[in-house]
Amino acid sequence: MGAAGFIGRRVVAALSASDWAAAVAASRRTGGAADAVVVDATDEASLGAAFSGIDGIVNCVAGDGDTIRRNADAVFGAASRLNQPPRIVHLGSMAAYGSAVGRVDETAPLLGDLDEYSKAKAAADVRALAYPAAVILRPGIVYGPQSPWWSDRIARLLMAHRLGDLGARGDGYCNLVHVDDVARSVLLALRTPAAGQAFNVAMPSPPTWNEYFQRYARALRAVPLRRISARRLAVELRIVAPACKLLEIGARLAGARSAALPPPIRPWLLKLCAHEIILDVAKAQTVLGMQWMPLDAGLQSAADWFRGGGRT
Amino acid sequence: MILDVTDFSDGHVLQSDVCIVGAGAAGIAMALELIDSGIDVLLLESGGLGAEPDAQALYQGTVQNEQLHSPPDRYRQRRFGGTTTIWGGRCMPFDPIDFEARDYVPHSGWPFGIEELSPFYPKANRLVEAGAFAYTAEEAFDRPSRPMIAGWSPAHYTSNTLERFSCPTDFGTRYGHKLRAASNIRVVLHANVTGLHLNAAGTHLDSLSVRSLKGRSLSVRASRYVLAAGGLENARLLLANRDVHAQGIGNPHDVLGRYYMCHIAGTVGALKIDRPLDDVWHGYDMTDDGIYVRRRLALRPEVQRASGIGNFIVRLHHPRITDPAHRNAILSLLFLAKLIIPYEYGKRLHGGESADLQTWFRHMGNVASGPLDAAAFAWHMFTQRALAARKFPSIIIKSKANLFSLDFHSEQQPNPQSRVSLTGDRDALGMPRLKVDWRYTSGDVDTVSRAIALLSGDINETKVGRLDYDASQLEMEMTRYGAYGGHHLGTARMGTDPRSSVVNARCRVHGIDNLFLAGAATFPTSSQANPTLTLIALALRLANDLKEGRA
Ligand SMILES: Cc1cc2nc3c(=O)[nH]c(=O)nc-3n(C[C@H](O)[C@H](O)[C@H](O)COP(=O)(O)OP(=O)(O)OC[C@H]3O[C@@H](n4cnc5c(N)ncnc54)[C@H](O)[C@@H]3O)c2cc1C
Repeated sequence: MGAAGFIGRRVVAALSASDWAAAVAASRRTGGAADAVVVDATDEASLGAAFSGIDGIVNCVAGDGDTIRRNADAVFGAASRLNQPPRIVHLGSMAAYGSAVGRVDETAPLLGDLDEYSKAKAAADVRALAYPAAVILRPGIVYGPQSPWWSDRIARLLMAHRLGDLGARGDGYCNLVHVDDVARSVLLALRTPAAGQAFNVAMPSPPTWNEYFQRYARALRAVPLRRISARRLAVELRIVAPACKLLEIGARLAGARSAALPPPIRPWLLKLCAHEIILDVAKAQTVLGMQWMPLDAGLQSAADWFRGGGRT
Repeated sequence: MILDVTDFSDGHVLQSDVCIVGAGAAGIAMALELIDSGIDVLLLESGGLGAEPDAQALYQGTVQNEQLHSPPDRYRQRRFGGTTTIWGGRCMPFDPIDFEARDYVPHSGWPFGIEELSPFYPKANRLVEAGAFAYTAEEAFDRPSRPMIAGWSPAHYTSNTLERFSCPTDFGTRYGHKLRAASNIRVVLHANVTGLHLNAAGTHLDSLSVRSLKGRSLSVRASRYVLAAGGLENARLLLANRDVHAQGIGNPHDVLGRYYMCHIAGTVGALKIDRPLDDVWHGYDMTDDGIYVRRRLALRPEVQRASGIGNFIVRLHHPRITDPAHRNAILSLLFLAKLIIPYEYGKRLHGGESADLQTWFRHMGNVASGPLDAAAFAWHMFTQRALAARKFPSIIIKSKANLFSLDFHSEQQPNPQSRVSLTGDRDALGMPRLKVDWRYTSGDVDTVSRAIALLSGDINETKVGRLDYDASQLEMEMTRYGAYGGHHLGTARMGTDPRSSVVNARCRVHGIDNLFLAGAATFPTSSQANPTLTLIALALRLANDLKEGRA
């Protein structure tokens, strides 16, 4: 489910490469592949039909708060009706933990108190936990080739020296996880007897956001890294971001692709950069057997993709 | 969390495992290192979050010779963040030779070598936001960086060591949020430590008295105490508490307050370099991590040993600003900007000399002769210094004539006659005020004059140019502005022998089992290096001692 998305594509590829699974890629639009189905992931009836004869479901559907809730209701609702409820690997998010700080493991309460997205992610996890055969994965910041935010937009902001060392505002932890690691965790979750459990999925000793910007800038050769003053960030939020919004609307009206426009720095991004939360991933390591791609190798793969003209 | 004395009732007793006195570079670095350590930490700070004149006035005192040392309430700040709220941010580690006992430097030698600090320097460097701990051009860049003078290799000096620059980072604004969020750290503002109460045997610190200027009194009971009140104030606090030990705490042998060092610095000579303009580079470079760095000429350690002189570095510098004979529009603009440059920075720019009307007019004439240069410079300083979060560190003026002066920074030898002591005068909290009697020695003059002579020889020998200077004026030049401001070292020196030192190699006051000092007061010698990076490394080492139960 959500097979055409950034994470979904990698999961489909990883499943297809395995010798034990045949992936059926379900998404809103079909890419025309033989083993693809078109579904409305928020419609229980549509899903019920698609689920028949399926051994395992991976739910990578993304969207706004409303979509997330309706998707969770539809997926778990439809699956519960099957005679033998299949294993569902549900892609949650660290956003479910909301404003929690410090080292956070899977037993932490799902505060979901950051914004609409975080609230919906927490609600979806609660729904998933009520289903008998769900495994929830809660990734941190999923980066890697084709990541719209963490590899593309951040790269553009770094190249333009609009992002850099944020000082105290970048002291939060950036719980990075490479998209290939997420795909691998999905495959492990499909086969590990861990129903009803949740797993944090992120690198074990994450860098701060300042460090991430510095290392990614180095991989992108967008150096020297600039120190971004509080004054400059205020200008970004109050003047640049609204201007970008106007440009985006203008481009949409003119029928152009808005992805080519300069990306705005939004308040939620700055909030994230200051958020001092570290995902505890011991459980994913011991129970699922996860190992992680070294950060510099991962950032290099993202930088190579970006510098090779990759855009989302 | 960050609290205020007013959050407690009068007479309240605060309890903690570790109590740190002073939230400046050293105190804040230690508190940060102790976050989530499981140790309950109290950080007492005299000032508030901003500058407060009545708190600053507690630093007032006298000086023996006003020509030689600035008043004690200048060049330090009594507020959260301490003196990092105004520091310049120039960073470099001490050199290995600085730790050695050198027979030609009286009273020299640390109780350990640089390897004791090496594990902590990189972290100290991160805290001051000076990027990677890479202090040579080769380590700092993975591409060749511009040499100071292309193809020049003087026999007695190296030119590949770097100064790296902090933003300059104000530890209060930069790390306040971390201390606020930490559950095991309590910062208490407006908390002036006045009394240090020992047990009857004088071997253990039982409690502290804390007073606010508004009249509130608290006391503190902790298992271990760290004084991190700055290089002058640590000595003052120990000297002022005399109820158990008549000469003050840690002072049975009259060492406390003595051996006071700053650095010896000055600007001398006229160096004309006979090379193409493009072959000479005396400005800043920027590393990939966005840090300003700058090369300087450093006297080689083997030359120091062979010549029997102290550590010494020198930078290529612009001609003296005050004298309009330089005919440089930018320098004259700086002269005219005198009124808007803070005291601590204006002193060395303007020399505190009063200029006559004619001088002012000649400076205006200089500005008028190069208005574009002056405007471009002003714009650069406005955007890259005034507005920037990482500030362009100092004034760099490219001489079209390849003409420079030499800006040197020299080790000052430890000298028991150079000292701080208490006067009969008292501050608003009843604490005796400080008197500073800073002195230099003939050995200090010798270091500067021999080092400059060696450089002059190198310049002649290699035919790179010509250095004109008046050797007979060197002593005057090195003391023209007095002791280098803001570096307060040696007043509670470290050593193994209580007869010649105040703290041991782990910064614990001899004879007191739970009192430690953090800061440059413990430095036995001064190096050529600015002190803050090293005092932070030493503070981090102490914090780890506390964490691991070694202290
Ligand atoms: C203009 C200037 C430029 C400088 N530039 C450089 C530079 O480029 N490079 C460099 O390495 N160094 C530089 N320095 C020196 C640097 O600022 C100091 O080395 C450093 O701040 C010392 O740290 P500290 O923690 O020991 O003392 P401080 O930073 O002074 O902190 C001491 C703290 O203790 C508090 N305190 C004092 N007494 C009490 C009491 N009784 N009770 C409770 N609290 C108390 C004070 O309020 C203060 O917050 C400069 C200094 C000045 C003035």
